[in-house]
Amino acid sequence: MNYPVWFLPNLGGGLLIAIIAIMHVVISHLAVGGGLFLVLTERKAVVTKNAALLEYVRKHTWFFLLLTMVFGGMSGVGIWFIIALVNPAATSSLIHTFVFGWAIEWVFFIGEIVALLIYHYRFGKMDDRSHMIVGWLYFIFAWLSLFVINGILGFMLTPGSWLETGNFWHGIFNPSYLPSLIFRTSIAFIFAGVFGLVTASWLKDAEMRQSVFRLCARWMYIPLLILAATGFYYTRVISPESFENLFHFNRESTPFIKVLIVSSILLFGLGLFTLIRTPKFIQKTGALLLVLICFGWMSGFEYMREIARKPFVLYSQMYSTGISLSEMDIIKQEGFLTHSKWSKVKEVTPENMVEAGAEIVRLQCLTCHTLDRYNGMMNKSDKLTERGLEALLTGMGKVNGYMPPFAGTEEEKRAVAAYIYRELHGKVSEAIQPHRPEEIPLEIPEFDPSKDEFVLLVWNDLGMHCISDNEKYFSFLPPGNTLHAQLFKRGALPEVITEGILMEYQVEDGYKHPGNHSMFWDYDTEIFGVDLPEGTGLMGKGVDGTMEAQGGLFAARLIPVMPYRDDGSYNPFPLFTITAKDEATGEIVATTKAVAPTSTEMGCRNCHEGEWAWNDVSGLADLTAINILKAHDRYNHTHLLQDAENGHPKLCQSCHADPAVMAPGKPDVLNFSTAIHGFHANYLSGLDHEACNMCHPGRFDGNTKCFRGRHNDVGISCTDCHGTLEDHALGLLANQSGIEASKRLSRGLEPVLVASKSDIKPRMPWLMEPDCKSCHTNFNIFEDGYDGTAFNLWAPGFEALYRNRTDNHGVMCIACHGSPHAIYGAMNTYGLHRDNHQPLQYQGVAGTIGTREQCMVCHTVEMTQNGHHRNMVNRFPPPVVVE
Amino acid sequence: MYDSIIPTTDTIPVHWLWFELLLIFTFFIHMILMNFILGGSLLTVWDLLRGKLEKRASGSIPTLIALTVNFGVPPLLFVQVLYGHLFYTSSVMLAIPWILVIPVLILAYYGAYLFVKKRDRAPGWSKAGLIISSLFLLYIAFVFVNNNTLAVRPELWGIYFENPGGWNLNLSEPTLWPRYVHFLLAALAIGALGRAISYRFSKMEEKEKTLQIKRNLKIFGGITLIQLGIGTWFWFSMPQEVWKLFMGGSFFATILMVMGWLMTLLILHSAFTGRLNASMILGGLIVLLMVIIRDVTRVAYLDEIFHPEQLKNVNEASPLIAFLITFVIGLLAIFYMIRLILKPKTPQS
Repeated sequence: MNYPVWFLPNLGGGLLIAIIAIMHVVISHLAVGGGLFLVLTERKAVVTKNAALLEYVRKHTWFFLLLTMVFGGMSGVGIWFIIALVNPAATSSLIHTFVFGWAIEWVFFIGEIVALLIYHYRFGKMDDRSHMIVGWLYFIFAWLSLFVINGILGFMLTPGSWLETGNFWHGIFNPSYLPSLIFRTSIAFIFAGVFGLVTASWLKDAEMRQSVFRLCARWMYIPLLILAATGFYYTRVISPESFENLFHFNRESTPFIKVLIVSSILLFGLGLFTLIRTPKFIQKTGALLLVLICFGWMSGFEYMREIARKPFVLYSQMYSTGISLSEMDIIKQEGFLTHSKWSKVKEVTPENMVEAGAEIVRLQCLTCHTLDRYNGMMNKSDKLTERGLEALLTGMGKVNGYMPPFAGTEEEKRAVAAYIYRELHGKVSEAIQPHRPEEIPLEIPEFDPSKDEFVLLVWNDLGMHCISDNEKYFSFLPPGNTLHAQLFKRGALPEVITEGILMEYQVEDGYKHPGNHSMFWDYDTEIFGVDLPEGTGLMGKGVDGTMEAQGGLFAARLIPVMPYRDDGSYNPFPLFTITAKDEATGEIVATTKAVAPTSTEMGCRNCHEGEWAWNDVSGLADLTAINILKAHDRYNHTHLLQDAENGHPKLCQSCHADPAVMAPGKPDVLNFSTAIHGFHANYLSGLDHEACNMCHPGRFDGNTKCFRGRHNDVGISCTDCHGTLEDHALGLLANQSGIEASKRLSRGLEPVLVASKSDIKPRMPWLMEPDCKSCHTNFNIFEDGYDGTAFNLWAPGFEALYRNRTDNHGVMCIACHGSPHAIYGAMNTYGLHRDNHQPLQYQGVAGTIGTREQCMVCHTVEMTQNGHHRNMVNRFPPPVVVE
Repeated sequence: MYDSIIPTTDTIPVHWLWFELLLIFTFFIHMILMNFILGGSLLTVWDLLRGKLEKRASGSIPTLIALTVNFGVPPLLFVQVLYGHLFYTSSVMLAIPWILVIPVLILAYYGAYLFVKKRDRAPGWSKAGLIISSLFLLYIAFVFVNNNTLAVRPELWGIYFENPGGWNLNLSEPTLWPRYVHFLLAALAIGALGRAISYRFSKMEEKEKTLQIKRNLKIFGGITLIQLGIGTWFWFSMPQEVWKLFMGGSFFATILMVMGWLMTLLILHSAFTGRLNASMILGGLIVLLMVIIRDVTRVAYLDEIFHPEQLKNVNEASPLIAFLITFVIGLLAIFYMIRLILKPKTPQS
């Protein structure tokens, strides 16, 4: 932001740093350990009067000088050059903070060079003692050089108390200083042994060769013990976030951990050959091979150190984008482009979205990424839509702390998404075509209040119900809709009737063959462990059948109705006709109709790409499902996609507990609702009900518009009852705060409707839901207690949930008021009154059953008292109905 | 004027003058060493092309490269402390030629070793090593001149927007070529002086030694004579407001320039009359003087843009003290090691 960015779209500055640094770091460690190796081996040769060994030392000194002083010294300057080119802001900060640290290191560097030149050029021309003193001085200077640089490297990862004091010495002697110093010193000795093999393998005398090989082996294996112990110590001093970056969740670390493990095994496994007498050719090849492995080994370690430091280049001070923490807030408020000195574009407009996005990517992302090569942006973004990319940017640095947060405004985020999606991937975001269903004429069953003896009320317990209809890959919501019914015998004091009644249900024509439109029955055994006859649901019900009486109600559970009609059309509101018969005579005593909402409008494709699976209207496509599984596998180290492709798709709730499907899940894994909301809240934060509609079938231009009840009509949205997605997720996460993943998912979230996270009540999904009385304090929103939101005020207990609650006479609230999200009078896009059959049948107006004091629906005498709850009679203004 | 693109600066731990002094001192040593290797290499190539390459010529080039690079570190460090925000920016603009300096330097270094170590066994490789090494050193000098001129010209930084890929050599800079030639000639002159000094301490026959010293001093003087014209060209290629400083615009700058001219005349006299000691002292002094003039020129270029006194000093002296102590200990250690070299080898060892 402060500096121009070297534009390397196909190479990447990060890779250049890595190449130069790894080569330098291997040689510079050798320069330290090799110094001691030289002088101690010389001492041994002098003491034992071993001229051949002394000659070996002399030859090795020349090899050592060419490698360390020429290549090592120059590539050290090279690192300085390259980091200043790739991340000048961080380099400047390090130079200015530690200028005298670098200067001190330079003094050691010159001491090192002078000593090595003397050691080499005066080999055999000085007396032994003086020569060895020079050798010792070389080693001391080289190690002191490491002593200083180690402090600055450690500072970048663990600045410790420097963050508060700004004191030079606190910065140098930081928390990882000691483990790192011991660790690196051990590496230096190991490298001394490995590189010692190279010169040794060229020795002509086989005995001598073997003798030096054994000597080198001691240098390799003795420090290994110290290295292993210090490595563990090292991991204890880094921050928990750094540890998590390395060993949990973050998939970026996996290849480097593998490199480290494999190269360690190779180095110390193959290294054992040094102890066996082998032909010269094998010794030469082996020595060179071990040198090569050293580079791999070091790259594994150094990359892991870099990963531990992410998302920072200077821990807790500056992100790897070169943006300081202190600048982040103002950039998010006022914009990255406004504050970037090196951008041609200063503001995002609808016309320059792609150009502005390109500028932001160049200045903010290309410090680490290329466009399409090493660490390329394209292959990390090819499974998302433009909207998905925007979400990815929102969530950056939250769930996975590896990446820095996006620095910029919402507009700038959209610009970056537009650039990546449209320009880099060459894709076009298609505008969503609003679904315009045909309105189906109503056929209201008859009801004659003067002679009919029964009133039958039927409802669905989930007003906003979805099916995840691609069982080939996974399932979390099988086809299954539950209808409940309550039968009242009319009278002065009506009775709830369940005895002696046969309650039958029948779906309307067009929905009779769900097996033709669903893969559910192909995978029922694999996913649910039961082999069901086609058309039969998990509780044994078909789309036509009977309901069972249970505690004052009738119920038919998990009816496997699909929204796809036999004629190829889509209607997520299939209508059921429910008939109550006298069990003894078979006489029909009451008939009504009810909607069983069953949408396949899963919003996954909004971000995860893919077309609609069913006739371009609805349904979860293969591509979407695959992309979802890939994301899950990547983050959680699972292999769900592979399993699915091998014919073993999973029920999400087989790991994630879920009261909705009675799944116990696995311990230490978040329950389904918590996982899915907790994860996505990080990516869809800052939104109101738009966040809910990204996934649930409630968007205004969607094919369902499931939120169709009266609340919608008066401008109440999802968040008024459930809270924003962040609030909602935090409530769920708080309920599982003992699980590690809960901490990871909640740390990047901020509540919207309450002041702090501690104000949010832990919530169990499905069992703790908004309480109607939060707003309708006295069964009327115009009285006291209404504060604009029901969030955090959960219904007190299972029985108090809207779907379970009754009045004092056993009448279900839901029976008269309608299904959740479809409260009478509802307005359905598939026919305005499709959800209002019962109010229209019994009272002629589409409002609550009994609205406007139409007590005569059930009561055969005039009622003047509030029988069911307060504010039923003489209510002013009168309740609204849909005309 | 260019505030919108000039990066903001970081803080410094002690008064900026500390860094200025350290910069001048270390850059002076680096310049001397750099002139020795660049000038020495080019003169050796010249000898080679004329078929007059001496058997012992310039065997110290690899060692000098090591020391030159080493003494290049502190001035690069201190210039980044004072002018880092300008220097990093210009470096990014010519990032590719700039980063190539490193592999080129490594190859130049190995080339020098090839020249020295293979002279008897593979003279062809040895000569190629020397020529390649010298050409590479010329490349490095050219890139440094580019970067240093671009760093003090923020008004040219708009070129970045046309080519952010790091290929922006500052070829339109009016001072580029006179500056490059001026520095090359200086390197040849001081290189020749260095060779004369090296002959002085060589073990060759006295007559040949004197001849070589005089010959190299003549080269030193001759190039200095050419430098009178090239230096003037360089001087007047600078913006008017800069060169006028040295013609009365600033008392201090004018005194420096007058001293420079006087010293040049003295150098001509001492060189052409074969006075090695006087040439050594004057040669050293004029390099120091030019380093100071270079600094004054940089400040003049950046007038109204930036001055190091604007850097915020956070007053943390203990690291400076630690550095000074370490520096003294380092010098003592080097002195001790040199004493050890001079110690005669005992018969039993």
